[in-house]
Amino acid sequence: MTDRDVQRIEEEAIAWVVRLRDAGADDWEAFTGWLEADAAHQHAYDEAALADLDAADLAPAPRPVQPAWTPAEAPAYRPNRRRFLGWGGGAVAAAVAGLVAYTTIPAGAALYAVETGPGEHRRIDLADGSRIDLNGGTRIQLDRNNARFASLEQGEALFTVVHDEARPFEVEAAGAQMRDLGTVFNVVAERGAVEVGVSEGRVLFDPRGVAVDLSPGMSLRRAAATARPVVARVEPDAIGGWRAGRLSYRSASVAQVASDLSRNLGVAVRASPPVARQNFTGVIMLDADKGTAVRRAASLLGVSASRAGDGWLLTVGSSGTP
Amino acid sequence: MDSWSERHYGATLRFPAMAKTMTTSGLEAVFLENRAALLRFLRARGAGDHAEDLLQEMWIKASAGASGPIADPLAYLYRAANNLMLDRRRAELRGQKRDHDWHDVSGDSLGISESPGGERVLIAREQLQAVEEALRALGERTDFVFRRFRVEGQSQRDIADELGISLSAVEKHLQKAYRALIELRRRFDAG
Repeated sequence: MTDRDVQRIEEEAIAWVVRLRDAGADDWEAFTGWLEADAAHQHAYDEAALADLDAADLAPAPRPVQPAWTPAEAPAYRPNRRRFLGWGGGAVAAAVAGLVAYTTIPAGAALYAVETGPGEHRRIDLADGSRIDLNGGTRIQLDRNNARFASLEQGEALFTVVHDEARPFEVEAAGAQMRDLGTVFNVVAERGAVEVGVSEGRVLFDPRGVAVDLSPGMSLRRAAATARPVVARVEPDAIGGWRAGRLSYRSASVAQVASDLSRNLGVAVRASPPVARQNFTGVIMLDADKGTAVRRAASLLGVSASRAGDGWLLTVGSSGTP
Repeated sequence: MDSWSERHYGATLRFPAMAKTMTTSGLEAVFLENRAALLRFLRARGAGDHAEDLLQEMWIKASAGASGPIADPLAYLYRAANNLMLDRRRAELRGQKRDHDWHDVSGDSLGISESPGGERVLIAREQLQAVEEALRALGERTDFVFRRFRVEGQSQRDIADELGISLSAVEKHLQKAYRALIELRRRFDAG
């Protein structure tokens, strides 16, 4: 194989990584064909795809190359654009907002990251008296020059914000912006999705776009930057219960509970397909060691927990020891 | 019924799948119907003799992870299979590198965390910093295009429109960025 061949294959492999990001089934079939055409393709693709994964935790583009407006001209948020307006109008506003390049990270920001390992909780006290509680497996960026900004890159955090009318607290997560209006709220960022739940006060989601006003007992989820946000009702008191090792659910799937257990305990818990969609209502306390906590949870869920590699697998059957 | 489903959220505020377009049994039907194609894909991705086992493993993961609406279930299964192969490849490389490093510096006196998790965090941080530097070295434009595409998930078309450049110029920026990251990964794996 000549150098030119190697170069061409690498170029094709990169093109596949780019194309497969939003691929449909026929793209995947075409990709299979490409892989089979030459034994060297598979290795080249692996290299390009792993390089792509290396960039998974990068920060967003630093600042717009051509800002559509300067901060001084930026329209003030509209507190009257309430959620009851209906999503049709909101979606149009979001589409319009998508056309302008804007990021809340100012040019003079001095960002630093705080991280927690799996199952680790950590409390951050900010200069203005606000407080951020990080759940396990979480990474957040803060700004040394501005205590009123946080960017949740991955994981889950509960914000207890000291309200300041003149300087609203802004949180960025999965490409979404949220602005506090005097608040305790919880944010989850996971694989491009963002979820915010309000316990006290109010939060304005996407203040420069759809501007959804969230009051206590409401939560909002956006599955991807391009997806439409969906609002649901939550129990305000249950928000942030993870800090005390308390997980409350009403009609949650076992798969969801398993994923929460993983994050909170720092040990992989998976639900097998037959039980994944079973419903659960109740409260799980995580006040014991990992193994006991998983077994107790399984007993509440009405499933059986067994060791699977480093983690646990939830399957059909009831576990004997609670 | 209320326009939004009622549910308590404890630790995480996950949402009920309100607009389920695909149930597990629906996904299973797609899986069974396309079993041969998925198996062929896994083999083409280097699964070899383990293709059958990996297909099973993929199905367990894919069906457990399917909590929201799935617009294109077959593409979803292909992606799950592809992710599985990438995970395996990455674990393999990580194992090789760890063995290699331990031979190089007789282990215990190092100032790194003993837990594999801690060690991984350190390596990841180091790697991320190298990625940042490599991208910056390519110039502001390429760096910007790549982050818009890779981190913010914008389409190539949108990026082209935003910058007032052609689609093929966007592709060239992406090629350049990915080439640099592949190069970086080779150095990292060798080092």
